[in-house]
Amino acid sequence: MDYFQKIFKESLVVVMISSIMGLFTGTFLSFNNQILYSFPVILLILPSLNSLIGNIATVLISRLSSHLYIGNLSPKIQRSPVLKNDFYGLLITILLSLVALIIIGYAVGLATGIQIINPLLIITVIMLAILILFGSIFIFLFTSSIFLFRKGKDPNNYLIPLTTSLLDFLTPLLLIVLIYLFI
Amino acid sequence: MDWQDTKWKITKEVFPSEIISIIGDILAGIILTILILPFKSFLILILIVPALLSMRGNISGPYIARTSRDIIIGEFNKESWFENVLATYALSIIIGFIIGLFGVILNYIFVRLFIITFGILILIPVLTMLLSLSISIPISTTLNIIVFKRGLDPNNVVNTVMTAVDDFFTILCFYFTIIMLGVP
Repeated sequence: MDYFQKIFKESLVVVMISSIMGLFTGTFLSFNNQILYSFPVILLILPSLNSLIGNIATVLISRLSSHLYIGNLSPKIQRSPVLKNDFYGLLITILLSLVALIIIGYAVGLATGIQIINPLLIITVIMLAILILFGSIFIFLFTSSIFLFRKGKDPNNYLIPLTTSLLDFLTPLLLIVLIYLFI
Repeated sequence: MDWQDTKWKITKEVFPSEIISIIGDILAGIILTILILPFKSFLILILIVPALLSMRGNISGPYIARTSRDIIIGEFNKESWFENVLATYALSIIIGFIIGLFGVILNYIFVRLFIITFGILILIPVLTMLLSLSISIPISTTLNIIVFKRGLDPNNVVNTVMTAVDDFFTILCFYFTIIMLGVP
């Protein structure tokens, strides 16, 4: 049962912390419900937005982890073609997905009769928030994966739970901060 | 396996799964509003919903990533899979209990709506997670194997597709759990 023990030991604390963060996300959203109700389309696409950036982070972590285990990526903080490919591949994906998300979100909004206020502002805020998050999370995940791998830990067990919960909290936070800045 | 993807290969594999995930999550959002909103205890239930949805990334996500990695590096076998599943279930029971417990505390501090007993509020996330994992684990494992056999990288495809599946089934299992437990 070595594998069981390794997974359990490495995951328990970080999963506990991230679940508590998830609970505080709910509380944070309820405290800022007024801004969300002023721009209802944000409420509609928020779960998808959280999933989008969370998915990209998860793909990145699992790719980095596999690269490190296979030996495609040396456990050093330095530029490499593998890393460059991952960065540009995921950046193109996130941009295309954002366009799709905005189109689908607005189409569903129109179909369900949800009010769409100041669409240009909302699109700018969404794009800006996701790109800021992507840039910062890429650097954080790359350095953390190297650090954890060097310590003999599996980056999947630590970084996926931590990052998804962190992003579930940071995405609405950044959106709300940017809306406050622009209006 | 020679495993080094170009940026276009990454985009080609991840983007279609992202579209499925986006559509699934928008559907999940609509279903959540239709199914959960009419409950009298909605204000309490909504406290634990974000934490339950984030479990997809906290428990299901690492399970899928571990399975993908085991398949890619050639270490996927019955024993490793069994231990991976067992650890995932064990973690989900503990985390479900913690979510329930914090739900009780947050309700006591912020919502102060006492129409669900503490025991039921703790049972809701535990049962929801056990039910949704029982659907998610067989689907994601099969998907991982199929995707790998077809020459695609499971890291790029499975987690993203499973986001939509997990979110949808988590909400559905959440709904069935509160019905089963007779939550008002």
